[in-house]
Amino acid sequence: MDRIQRLITGAASDQLSITILTLPTDNDRQAIKIARQLEENLKAVGINVRIEPRADAELLQTVLLEHDFDCYISRHPGGYDPDFLYETFHSKFAPEAGWQNPYGFVDTKLDELLERQRSTTGSERKEAIGEALDRLAQTHPIVPICVPDERRLVRTDRFDGWDDHHLGTRLGYLGLEPDENDFEDEVVLNAVITDSSPSRNINPLAAAYRYRGPFIDLLYDSVATRDDDELRPWLAESWEWDESVATITLRSNCLFHDGEPVTADDVKFTYDLLDDTSLGDRDGQSPAPRYRGVGDAVESVTAVDDRTVRMRFGTSDEVGELAFTVPILPKHIWKTAVKDRLENGAEPIQGTWDLVTTEEIPPIGSGPFALTEQEPRSHLRFERFDDHFTRRGYVDLPEPRVDEIAFHVEPNSSAAVDQLEAGNADVTGSILGSETVGDVPDGLELVESESWTFYHIGFNVRNSPFSNLHFRRNVARLIDRESLVADVFNEQASPTVTPVTGEWIPDDLEWDGSAPYAPFFRDETNSGDTGELDIEQAKREFERHGFQYDEDGEYIVRS
Amino acid sequence: MLAELLTQVTVIIVVLLVGFVPVCIGRRRLRATRHEWRDRMREAAPVAGMVLVVLLANRFTRQRLPDISWAIDWNLTPTFYAIEGEAIIWFQQFASPPVTQYFSFVYIYGYVFILVFPVIAYFALSDTRPLRELLSAYALNYLIGLFLYLLVIAYGPRNIMPTAIETVLYDFRPQYQYLTQEVNHNTNVFPSLHTSLSATIAIFAYRTRDEYPIWFAVAAPLAASIAVSTMYLGIHWAIDVVAGITLAVGTVYAADRLVGRWSLAEDFGIEVDEYAARIRRIAGTSAPTDPPSPAEDDEYGEADGADVEGPSSDEPSTGRRS
Repeated sequence: MDRIQRLITGAASDQLSITILTLPTDNDRQAIKIARQLEENLKAVGINVRIEPRADAELLQTVLLEHDFDCYISRHPGGYDPDFLYETFHSKFAPEAGWQNPYGFVDTKLDELLERQRSTTGSERKEAIGEALDRLAQTHPIVPICVPDERRLVRTDRFDGWDDHHLGTRLGYLGLEPDENDFEDEVVLNAVITDSSPSRNINPLAAAYRYRGPFIDLLYDSVATRDDDELRPWLAESWEWDESVATITLRSNCLFHDGEPVTADDVKFTYDLLDDTSLGDRDGQSPAPRYRGVGDAVESVTAVDDRTVRMRFGTSDEVGELAFTVPILPKHIWKTAVKDRLENGAEPIQGTWDLVTTEEIPPIGSGPFALTEQEPRSHLRFERFDDHFTRRGYVDLPEPRVDEIAFHVEPNSSAAVDQLEAGNADVTGSILGSETVGDVPDGLELVESESWTFYHIGFNVRNSPFSNLHFRRNVARLIDRESLVADVFNEQASPTVTPVTGEWIPDDLEWDGSAPYAPFFRDETNSGDTGELDIEQAKREFERHGFQYDEDGEYIVRS
Repeated sequence: MLAELLTQVTVIIVVLLVGFVPVCIGRRRLRATRHEWRDRMREAAPVAGMVLVVLLANRFTRQRLPDISWAIDWNLTPTFYAIEGEAIIWFQQFASPPVTQYFSFVYIYGYVFILVFPVIAYFALSDTRPLRELLSAYALNYLIGLFLYLLVIAYGPRNIMPTAIETVLYDFRPQYQYLTQEVNHNTNVFPSLHTSLSATIAIFAYRTRDEYPIWFAVAAPLAASIAVSTMYLGIHWAIDVVAGITLAVGTVYAADRLVGRWSLAEDFGIEVDEYAARIRRIAGTSAPTDPPSPAEDDEYGEADGADVEGPSSDEPSTGRRS
């Protein structure tokens, strides 16, 4: 039987076997290539591998909500502020479904450091983050691989101002200046995207469909908006800090797309809903599967009057302010949505109940654009919301200048570039795969933006074999970042061993050609050949940590 | 972009048909068709209607299909990959620009041509049974194919071997993906409907080789090329192709049985046939018709045998073929 099975699948029945989830070539050519490289190295050291490609939302569904995986390879959205580490790795979130700690990772020392960075500022905070990153690099709940360059192509003949703001955010789509001569009446901005998720589901709380992109932020306003390195007042006119209490003054006369006014009550409601999506209906809470870290920073919210909100934080104001970027939801719609579902007998199961997965709640926000059309796997259409506060003369913020934005779903990056070349679209909304950015075609321009996303392997540490630290480390040592960056990314990425970027990386974790705690098993005898795996050394390391090989020493036996 | 591509395909197919129809079908059959088309239409209408319903069902469920498949979540990609590994890479050793040109032409245009031509050719036969069988086989292929697409999630080799296949269709002709995604989703590769429909047509071409010897000589290699192209271009696993061939054999067999069971001829007996024959004879008095050949009688025994000798009568009939 064994022999037959080996013949068919290349694996013996008692061989250790793991499944790598990743995206198919269509969705992410780089992720699948990394997976294939890892597969080759795992097989070389005697571990059987199944590669299972899953589409964007379906991969997230399995990893974030079902926790039904061994390991996966994909891009993580990361964050401009390292506080996202708190949500991603704190042990208190391990039992929850959502973007919060999908790995099931539990480490009290890391918890302590992640908490410390929330209550300190300046160099103290930086130090705590440095230590947390060091701890992460030694415990390997994930293996960060590289930070890809964030590139988009744009057409400059119809619109100008592409470089003004980050195109992954709402501001990137505001302030764009249409060349009036090119449009007879309606000014339509056509964007192409390669991820169909927003066309399938635009629920701001649906974890599996919310990865990156400006869609939610175009539809919904938040108290503040990120503009490069600063947080600028958005729906708030201003805010003031007094110790750990922020008093926020909202702009006057703001409306939701259905004409209802935006009030302090909506703001309070939003944070209450993030904290418990069942709105206190049950004893246990049902926190949202998104914005968990920032929601957790909020201790209480009070609506003082229609335009004044008081928020008390359990963190420093630096971290507290991050909570100002969540989308403000209309109470009159979401409260009914919660009540209806509970009355119909829905169980508010954390992270997966209907409220936080459905696509049926009306996508009504107060943002600069309203949703007018949504065709699954095809397109989304947004129409300018003329009552938006940015359109008021005295408000000094970029305003929506186009009448309509259409996002068209394309099968992959090269098809997206084709649409631009053919003049059918003005911008590639999704980040381009590195295979598509060679020479910039005539008439197009490359826009490079600051990147926080990183490719990584994520481990499910709840189950064997990835519950074993030594196993995780040895698998991490099968990754040759430099050859991946060269071969898979055409050098359009930077190797990394940390999930944060820029100045937050402590000196000892800066990439210097080798990962400090889990260096690649490089075959040093063959120095001319970089990227060569030292199979014997790798096998010895697995063996040293209690992984048994079969009698021929070929494969690791499942324990 | 889609409209452009569709126009391009239409133009090329029309050109191919204009060249091929007279050569392969023959003037006489076409002339007969001009007289008998109403009857033939009437006979083939129920089956044709069925095909239409299936195609429309496909059209309207296509957007929803992947969601249901993911809900079932039976992802066979790793299994296919574990079983056959990089077997289809074998075709890469023959890779060269002209070969790639050929197979991509065959995959898009050859496929549409092989689907369309036999419908015309069999419509030009006075016996509509081959037409009805062919159309029911189309419908069955689609139905069973759709059902399997719904049930199974399987990405094609190109989606798991991003570098191994140099000749991925969508890499050197990205625009073709617009065309194919109009009919299919990238998780639907098991079975290969390109293969199953081409193989179905090839089997029919074999059975009607006496009526259409040229068509058989064209269809057999074309069908084989289409099956190979799906693997050469990295779209399908060998398993999908094998499943496609199995599906083809199964549907031809089923079409044989089903059409036999419910055909108007058998349900309403001889009167319909005689009636049709009488009309044909009346038509025959005013215009010379192309009578069905004896071979056709052999294969589809219910054709009216009252006609004069066929053009191929100088070759002795060999009786019923297997």
